[in-house]
Amino acid sequence: MSDQSSGWADGRVPSNVRVGRGSVITGPDAFKRFRTTRDPGLVIGANCTMDLTHFSFQPDGEVTIGDWCVFASVVLMCEERITIGSHVAIGWNTYVMDADFHPLEPVQRLADVFAISPVGAAQQLPRPVVPTGPVVIEDDVWIGPGCMVFKGVRIGAGSFVEPGSVLTASVPPRSRVVGNPAQVVGAV
Amino acid sequence: MPLPRRLPWDWWDGLVPESAVLDDECHVESSYQFLLDRSEPPYGVRVHRGASVHGLTAFDVGPEGVVTFGAYSVTNGTQFVCDEEISVGCCSMLGWNAVIMDNRRVPTDPLLRRAVLESVAFSRPRRLLGNAETAPVHIGSNVWIGFDAVVMPGVTVGDGAVVGARSVVWADVEPYSVVVGNPARLVRHLSVDERAGVLTPFGRRPYSQALQPLR
Repeated sequence: MSDQSSGWADGRVPSNVRVGRGSVITGPDAFKRFRTTRDPGLVIGANCTMDLTHFSFQPDGEVTIGDWCVFASVVLMCEERITIGSHVAIGWNTYVMDADFHPLEPVQRLADVFAISPVGAAQQLPRPVVPTGPVVIEDDVWIGPGCMVFKGVRIGAGSFVEPGSVLTASVPPRSRVVGNPAQVVGAV
Repeated sequence: MPLPRRLPWDWWDGLVPESAVLDDECHVESSYQFLLDRSEPPYGVRVHRGASVHGLTAFDVGPEGVVTFGAYSVTNGTQFVCDEEISVGCCSMLGWNAVIMDNRRVPTDPLLRRAVLESVAFSRPRRLLGNAETAPVHIGSNVWIGFDAVVMPGVTVGDGAVVGARSVVWADVEPYSVVVGNPARLVRHLSVDERAGVLTPFGRRPYSQALQPLR
């Protein structure tokens, strides 16, 4: 791992991360929020380029990434499971997440805010449980810059997600996808 | 008592400006967040008890601007563009890289804009010196604003509302509603049980009373 930071990351890869031959991870934020206790919590295949990518995992998060993937400034937020195939390219400032991380319901949401505050954390207030839905990105998918992939979404092999799309539902293989919320507009 | 001017955990070699008033039980990650802060005492940015300001949040606050960030609210990477007033209530969450602006920093008239842009070249430091129209923004309590959302000048977001990821909010948002899209439109109302118990740092309280000690 080459560490380009002048800052807070110590430049080491956590022990529960498996990185294949020829793969590169860059950036100071890569493991800043890597809180998973699973072993392995993150598996990256061979010859992947993870440029300025941010692995933000909760304690039970597990992510698998195949071979020959290229990610640029991607944020992977994982509560449960994200599975990414091989030859997947993801553009700048795209978020992939398998949960909403906070409850929608106002009472639960308020309890969550208290629990994550510095005062609540010091008192170890419990966080409400939030629903999760594993995300699957199959082989040969291209995701443009500025996209969002939400919980429970499966992107079929070979699909092409245009820049700025917000994926709230699964799409079949070889789809061309665009918009917020994303619609399938054709095939590739 | 305010936090020390040099934050002990800071990764950036800088100081929190005098005009920032930080509660001693809040968390502010870095003085880097105040790089664009040109506000003046008594205060330009105020962070209340139990609030957390993470990551690359930026307080881009002009000399007349005032940003108040309420108790137990949390943000990561929000851009506050403020030349008048932005207020965030208690226990609100502002998602990563949201933008909250009370002005556009440049006039909408192209010729005036040209003059403002040219003035940047002669300013030290080189910055847009906000002389655009302003309209205060008020975010209520227990609000959740999604990733990359933008709140435009003059907007009030009611208590308990949710703004979806990537939404652009042009009009006021009703309390306990969910808005999404650009322009943000209402997709549902949230029901709330006022008597339901909430575990707070000051004990279990009914929802209707959970925020009272903070106001």
